[in-house]
Amino acid sequence: MSEMQCVIVTPERTEVDVRATSVVLPLFDGEMGILSGHSPLVGRLGYGELRIKLADGVASRYFVEGGFVQVSGDVVSVLTDRLSDCTKIDRQSAEKALDAALSIPATKENAVARDRATSRARAMMRLVERK
Amino acid sequence: MANVRLLDKRRKSIRNIRKITRTMELIATARFKKAMDRAAAANDYTQRITQIVRDLAGAGLEVSHPLLAGRPEVKSATVLLLTSNRGLCGGYNSSVLRQAMLRRAELNATNTGMKFEVSGKRGISAMKFRSVSIDQSYTHFEDKPAYEEVAVIADRLMSEFIAGKFDRLDVVYTQFVSVSKQIPQVETLLPFAQPATQGSTAESAGSTGVRADYEFLPSAESILEEVVPASFRVKLFKCFLDAAVSEQIARMVAMKSATENAGDIIKQLSRTYNRARQSRITQEIMEIIGGVEALEG
Repeated sequence: MSEMQCVIVTPERTEVDVRATSVVLPLFDGEMGILSGHSPLVGRLGYGELRIKLADGVASRYFVEGGFVQVSGDVVSVLTDRLSDCTKIDRQSAEKALDAALSIPATKENAVARDRATSRARAMMRLVERK
Repeated sequence: MANVRLLDKRRKSIRNIRKITRTMELIATARFKKAMDRAAAANDYTQRITQIVRDLAGAGLEVSHPLLAGRPEVKSATVLLLTSNRGLCGGYNSSVLRQAMLRRAELNATNTGMKFEVSGKRGISAMKFRSVSIDQSYTHFEDKPAYEEVAVIADRLMSEFIAGKFDRLDVVYTQFVSVSKQIPQVETLLPFAQPATQGSTAESAGSTGVRADYEFLPSAESILEEVVPASFRVKLFKCFLDAAVSEQIARMVAMKSATENAGDIIKQLSRTYNRARQSRITQEIMEIIGGVEALEG
């Protein structure tokens, strides 16, 4: 199977730079799979799980929190604010995040922050449920 | 000639100081390397986000965003000053402060409202000394500023700017150009300068790369809405990183010259000490000879 380059960068550093056969991204409205030779694309990411399948069949999973993806030529660049290891997220921390998000008072000033926190927590919950 | 012992004592104390300054120099060097690596690692994100903005502009999209819109009249400005928490770094803080005070005088001359935000204990105490009122102060940024901490400040500044609480944001910091060159400067971050306009003409002329027709999900406008704040956040983060690197370099240089100076003083003191010791011995011999002569005579 043909390969492509997959690069994940955060503002602090380049986290991942590998050759992959497929990448599954959490876009703002659902998952999207990208294989080699995909048409050029710029997309907005949501919260959720990102899966990279390497050439030797090994898959790695990450949790991304917003950002963008750019597909150009045979390079998939993912720009995200924060990247964490999927295995580090457990039910307890997800529930805690959801509780914290829901306890933000729903006022006009907090609307955006509350929205963001709840969707992040819900994405974490989804991830845990699937496990 | 009781000052022989005094000279020796002084020499010893300067030796101790030299030991301390040399250690500080080594620490600063190690921190500088780490800070430098962090700054280099952060470049990748900046480049890619600039690329996205350029592609958006290339797609024929009118780039407009409340953060990009300049205000016809600047009624009030916010000045964010980045200094260090610790001293002993030569002219690092004073040169940034000088820039800040110049900008302050400028704003005062045009009767513009002003808010001062200061990061770093040195800047805070200097501003207190000059009796400038500080609206916000941060002391939690050390040699490794974290993106998340900077993003909190950036988000607050952005929402205040959009709400019209101030019309311009100036960041006073030390820009890192190279290891031998750091420039203290004032940079206007809001209204935000469009990142694409700076490099696009030069880049697109030289680039042979694919001028691809991008598919935008969900839409180019929606991506732009997110890209502009993200690039502002990253820009502010870069200011903090630059300031951290420059601080370590300034400290390294200052401690290096302090160590060298201590060496010079030790050399000088040793010379005086030896001379004083020699003349004391000579004098003692003279006294003995004098005594012997007196006995013989």
